[in-house]
Order: sequence, then C-alpha cells, then structure tokens
Amino acid sequence: MSEINNLTIPEIVTIDEIKDEIVEVKTFYLSFDARKGGEAPKFTSGQFVMCTVFGAGEFAVSLPTCPENDRFHLTVRRVGKVTNALHELKPGDKIGIRGPFGNGFPFDEIKGKNVIYVAGGIGLIPLRSSIMRVMQNKDKFGRVLLFLGARTPQELMYADSIKEWKTAPGFETNITIDNPVPGWDGDVGFVHTLIKKKNIPIENTVAFVCGPPMMFNAVIKELTELGIGEENIISTLERHMKCGIGKCQHCAIGRTLVCTDGPVYTYRQIKTLGEQI
Amino acid sequence: MYLIKKSQVMDIAKELQKEYELYGPVIDKETKQTMFVKADDAAEIDLNAPIPAIPPKHVLFPNYERIMSYKYDRQNKKVDIKPDFDEKPKALFGLRSCDLTGVLCMDRFFLGQEFADEVYKNHRKNMFIVSNTCIAPFKQCFCVCTDSGPAAQEGYDLNLTDLGDQYLVEAGSDKGKKLAEKMGLAKADDSHKKAKENAVDKSISLFDSIATDNKAWISRVMNRVTTGLIDEKVWEYIGNQCIECGACSFVCPSCTCFNITDPITAPDEADRMRTWDSCSYEGYSRMAGGHNPRKPVEDRRSKRFFCKLSYSQAKKYLRPGCVGCGRCQWVCPGDIGLPNVVTYIRREIQK
Repeated sequence: MSEINNLTIPEIVTIDEIKDEIVEVKTFYLSFDARKGGEAPKFTSGQFVMCTVFGAGEFAVSLPTCPENDRFHLTVRRVGKVTNALHELKPGDKIGIRGPFGNGFPFDEIKGKNVIYVAGGIGLIPLRSSIMRVMQNKDKFGRVLLFLGARTPQELMYADSIKEWKTAPGFETNITIDNPVPGWDGDVGFVHTLIKKKNIPIENTVAFVCGPPMMFNAVIKELTELGIGEENIISTLERHMKCGIGKCQHCAIGRTLVCTDGPVYTYRQIKTLGEQI
Repeated sequence: MYLIKKSQVMDIAKELQKEYELYGPVIDKETKQTMFVKADDAAEIDLNAPIPAIPPKHVLFPNYERIMSYKYDRQNKKVDIKPDFDEKPKALFGLRSCDLTGVLCMDRFFLGQEFADEVYKNHRKNMFIVSNTCIAPFKQCFCVCTDSGPAAQEGYDLNLTDLGDQYLVEAGSDKGKKLAEKMGLAKADDSHKKAKENAVDKSISLFDSIATDNKAWISRVMNRVTTGLIDEKVWEYIGNQCIECGACSFVCPSCTCFNITDPITAPDEADRMRTWDSCSYEGYSRMAGGHNPRKPVEDRRSKRFFCKLSYSQAKKYLRPGCVGCGRCQWVCPGDIGLPNVVTYIRREIQK
C-alpha cells in the first residue's frame, strides 16, 4: 500500500473524461487529486476499488485498466442507486476511491502458456485489464484466443480495444452475438457454442471466464469437457460489498471472503466453496 | 494480586471515572433488566446484576456510528471529508468473562487479520477493562461448554472475584497494576488465590443445577459444520424456524457484520454511517440489479452457524466464535438459538 491511506476514508479523484460505451454503460477516466501527476496507486489486473459517489453511497467495481501504459478508468453499468448517481456526473466532478483491494489475476505464473479469454456482456470489463497486459507482453505467451459474446452488436463493449485486439499479432479474436441481425456478418449464437467450433489449445492452457452465471456455467461445462483442468479455469466473482478490507462480511462465500481471498478464484476453488456464484 | 473490601469495591470505578467514560451493568429501574450502559454515577453500577441483556460490544462497535462526514460543493467541484473516529478513553467495569471473550474475538477479528480496522482500533486504543468472575452461573449460561468462563483468563486490566466479604483484584496488565498500586490496595497471598480457585470450582459445579436452560457440546459438531457433512434437511428445518429478525446477531458478543450507508444530512452534506447488520436479512447479500446468491433463508441461516462453529472461522478468533452467553437462545422467537442448533445437529449425527 502506498503512503496515502485510503483503507477507510476514500481519497478524492476527479473525473477527467466520460465515454459512453454501450447502453447504460459508461467509462470514467480519473485522476487522483492527492497523488503526483494524478496517477493512480499501484494495482494489478483483476483487483477492484470501492467507489464513492458523494451523497449517494459506495459500491465495489472491478478495474478494466491495464496496469501498464493505460489511463486509469472505471467502466460502470447503471444498475442501482449509486451507479445511477455516478452516471449523472459530468467531467470535472469529484468522486471518492478506496483501494485497490483483492488478489488479482495471475500474470507471471502463466507466462509461456496459451491463454483463452471468454467474456459475456459486461464480463469483459475485469478481463480487459488482463487482456491488455498480455497483449503488451505477447512474446511471453503462446496462443491468445478471445471469445467475446454480446446480445446484439450494439452491446459489444470497448469497440476501440476490440479493434486493437483484432489486429494484434498472435491474437485470435472471435466475436459472437446471440441472434442474427441484418448487417452482422460475424458469428451468431451463444459464446460457449463458438468455443467448440474453433480449434482451441488444451495442453498448457489457462482460460479466463467472466460473465453472467448462466453463460459461466455453460462455458465451464464446455471447457472441462474439452479437457482443460479445473485449476486452469480462472474467474472473478462479484458480491455485495461494504468495506473491501474483510470486515463487513457481506461478501462471504464458503469459508472465504471475496474482498480479501478473491475476487479471482480458480474453478476448482469455486466448486469447493459450496455456494451459488 | 490485591484485595479490596466489598464496601469499597466501587472506589475502583470512581477512580476510573476520573480518566475514563465509565460503562457498567446497570439495572433499569422500570424494566428490572440489566443494561451495559454509560454510568454517570458509579453507584448505579451493580456488580451482582444478572448478565446484561445486550453485550458491551456496542461500546467498541456502536450499533449506529458516524465514521466520517463530508461536504460536496457541486458548483465549485470541491469535496471536504472529515473522518470521525472515536478515541475517547472508556472503561468497561464489571464485564462477565463471556463478554470479555467476545471482546477478544472482536480484537482478533478487527485487528489481527490482513487489514486492521481503523474505526475499531480507535475505540479500543484507550480502554480499561475490569472483568468480574461469575461465582454462580445464570440460568441461560453455558460458558463451560465454550471455554470462556466462569472466570476470565486473559484480556482484562483488572479482574474481580467475590470472596465473600472482600474482592480479590488481579492485575492483567501494567495499566491495571498501576491503578491498584495507586489506590494502595492491600496485597493478597496464596490463600486468596486458593479461595478464588475454590469459588470458580464451585461455580462450575453449580452449572448442573442452576444453568438448566442450555447445554451446547460444540466440540462434537465443529467438525461436521466445518466439513459441511450435515444433511441439507437439518438446515431447511432450522431455516423454516427463522423469521429473519436478526436479533441473534445483535445480542451476540462476537457478531461483527456491519452495513455502510451515506444518509444526507443537509443540502450537499452527508454522513457515512456504519450500522450493525445481520446475515439473516434477505438484503444482506443482494447485489445491485437484484441477483442474490443467498436467497433461501436456510442458505443464510447455515452461514451464521458456520461463522460460530467452524474451524476455518475459529482461525480468525483463535477459538470458537460462540462464547456461551446464551443470549441468542434467550431472544430467538424461532427457538433456534445456538444451543438448540447444536442439539439438532447432534441428533442428526447420532442417527
């Protein structure tokens, strides 16, 4: 942790820029008022922060920002009272940030392996951080495959990043939408059906899966049937959170707390937690 | 070890009051219930009062507490945050050993994990604890089953034991020793120590005849709760009895779940409040958007007992989460206080 203590009291950040991603989802570019150059505290991909909207409350949100060469930002869907208030804010407004918290995705541990990313809808938000990092260090990894699913072409997240991934050397980017629509010439169908169609590596492979529970379960079934080990399937869980430091207990799952033991778990761990995801 | 005459024991409280806010068991005149509250006059405190209805955890972990206040000036884009931590010196006088064990559980949980909780740390920073040995159990007690009584083993600054016409005063810290020396208390010898041991032994022997309400052989069920080898039907039965009132959590000396809200206090001003919460509430794990991974009540109910009775949770407290005070059994409208749940599980094991 840095010299600035934000464990209990949020530090103040300024919204520099707001970008509309898809319907009800916006990206907020932030700079930290009390830090040199407005730079963010050190973090790793897969971690999360607690974001305060003054006068509304606080919520936990995963970090889509790549820890290397990236502007610090949060991507948030308008879904409840606090996120609603956040969406009403304008560039220049202040919000509060505590964190980063949590364990984060493995990076050094998976060097030399093939990497598969499977994201459904806004499940791409936490994975973006890891994808960007792997892209910037592509020479240290084997094949990198992206499987992105969305309901409609309009609901595809991060259009700019996807453009980059499509042309990134060594990246195999596959995009699918749920139902055919005029003007879409890409794949159609749920994302787990797409995995079967492509020739994916099984040996020496790590898969990152993130999305709604239904999609998650279907993808896991597909991947394990193809022979990818449970310990090589990695996901990040979301829970109702209040403190982020392992005290409020709202995010308890099994014998672990998502805020300090997670949010990143392997599928083998998730199975032993004995709770719904 | 020191001695103090029974008629003078409240002098300790009066001495503490010079430096600390004094809290202790006070019998409410109207309801005749014991409450552990702030005593402006040390004479209100009754060392012989029955176990307080609500444990003293609210002194260290208030049920409703402001942790910061802030102003946000929308026009000028300015935010001003004021942390509000309570570090006033407080003295807990006449704590029963079960409640002291609850305080130790909270210490280990709030201060001993990966992160220390700053709010709690400030409450605890300047605290003086005087515990009181139970020379006889109360009706609902089962601290002998949970290794938390009837005499306190650790965590006190001073411990009092009723020896008839005088109290044995044991110092458990330098702070406690200093106070005893300052008051010029008479020194006790080995005979008094022996007398205390006899009093404690006698207290334990009285559990069979006085503490008739509860028994909880928790060591028998800890293994089952930890490994999850309990029939789903048992939890369903327990869940069906639960009316989700949350009373068990609020009267438990070691329950520490909290919620955080930001109520608005004036235009462009708000407080950040930390309030007690209970894992039995439906909204406890419900996320924005409505997804709730613990929707059925039995899913939530089993988690509370997992928290009190599993080894994995005991690692955080360095002991079982239950301290044997019997309050949950006392308040539960559904008859599923911890001792009863232990009984249900044991019955299931024996089948």
